[in-house]
Amino acid sequence: MALINQATKEIQLKIVYYGPPQGGKTSNLEKVHAEVEVAPDSRGKLTSLATNSDRTLFFDFLPLETTVIRGFKTKFQLFTVPGQVIYNTTRQLVLRGVDGLVFVADSQYEKMEENVQTFANMIQNLETLNQSLDNIPYVLQYNKRDLPNAAPVDYLEYLLNNRDTQVPSFASSAIKGDGVFETLNMITRMLLHKLLTESGRKAA
Amino acid sequence: MFTLPLLISEDIDVMDAALGDFVAVSGSRLALFIDGGGFIVTKQGDAGEMDTATLGALAANSFAATQAISKIIEDQSVTSLYQEGNENSLLILSVGDFGFLAVVFPAEIGVGSVKYYGQEVVTHISRQLTAARARSPEDGLDLSVLNIADATPLFRRRAATP
Repeated sequence: MALINQATKEIQLKIVYYGPPQGGKTSNLEKVHAEVEVAPDSRGKLTSLATNSDRTLFFDFLPLETTVIRGFKTKFQLFTVPGQVIYNTTRQLVLRGVDGLVFVADSQYEKMEENVQTFANMIQNLETLNQSLDNIPYVLQYNKRDLPNAAPVDYLEYLLNNRDTQVPSFASSAIKGDGVFETLNMITRMLLHKLLTESGRKAA
Repeated sequence: MFTLPLLISEDIDVMDAALGDFVAVSGSRLALFIDGGGFIVTKQGDAGEMDTATLGALAANSFAATQAISKIIEDQSVTSLYQEGNENSLLILSVGDFGFLAVVFPAEIGVGSVKYYGQEVVTHISRQLTAARARSPEDGLDLSVLNIADATPLFRRRAATP
């Protein structure tokens, strides 16, 4: 849930990158951390709790700060979740307090089943937290577009972007940085829009 | 990089014997040897209804988070983690770079005695795994790559022939 601290003039928003194992969630954060253009003290350290084989064990965490709303410092906390089946409870822990989601799908044909299962798992885990995709802004990222066995975007849209309301989706190659910032900018814009809309409603 | 050396049945037998003796002498309920990724290598004791797979994953998560905190507070290393409960407590001991020993024990047993006996098991397991690594230094296991918790790709039904 978005934290608004009137005393310190700070807003904190949590974005979680969700998706199947080895799909590119960590690569997204690594690219953002390496290439984002902000003041040095506005970009925190990328904390990665990973195994020896560089698979996310608990989460990756990257804090980013910017002044988007006049007078308020806006802090975005970017998290990734571990993708493997065994870490489902861990994913539920990381999802707590989530404000926005980026679902990073693996575009390879052989990963379609995993993409769909992981998407369903995300919905189930949100339900355990009394949340749903109806009230949490999310975007889809179709990663690994650079690979030769990448399925067509239309196919991924058919499989994953088929709810009552379609959401923004982005083709990406996170390892090259393509589509990473477009995805991040869209989810942050959606979150800020929701925040401002809700604040306006409360003020009225 | 592999998380574990290649293991043979003798390695597991030795670890099982060490864990079994430890559970008996310390009064613990359950002892698990978990690899760095949270996958259970072997266990002894009475798990009852406990979801040991999730316990292993969360124990590894907790240890990783605690190690990250120790870097922030400028401590050199974390070797153990203790969770005190009302009914059952949990002690996690680092087994070098091989993994962790996670021990569930009744809350009325003092953590000091569990830790004391646990250190002997850690030494025993470390020694066995070091010998296993020396047998085949180039080979190893990574249980997270095997993704052993997900059984879906193992067997598929053959399509019906017309």
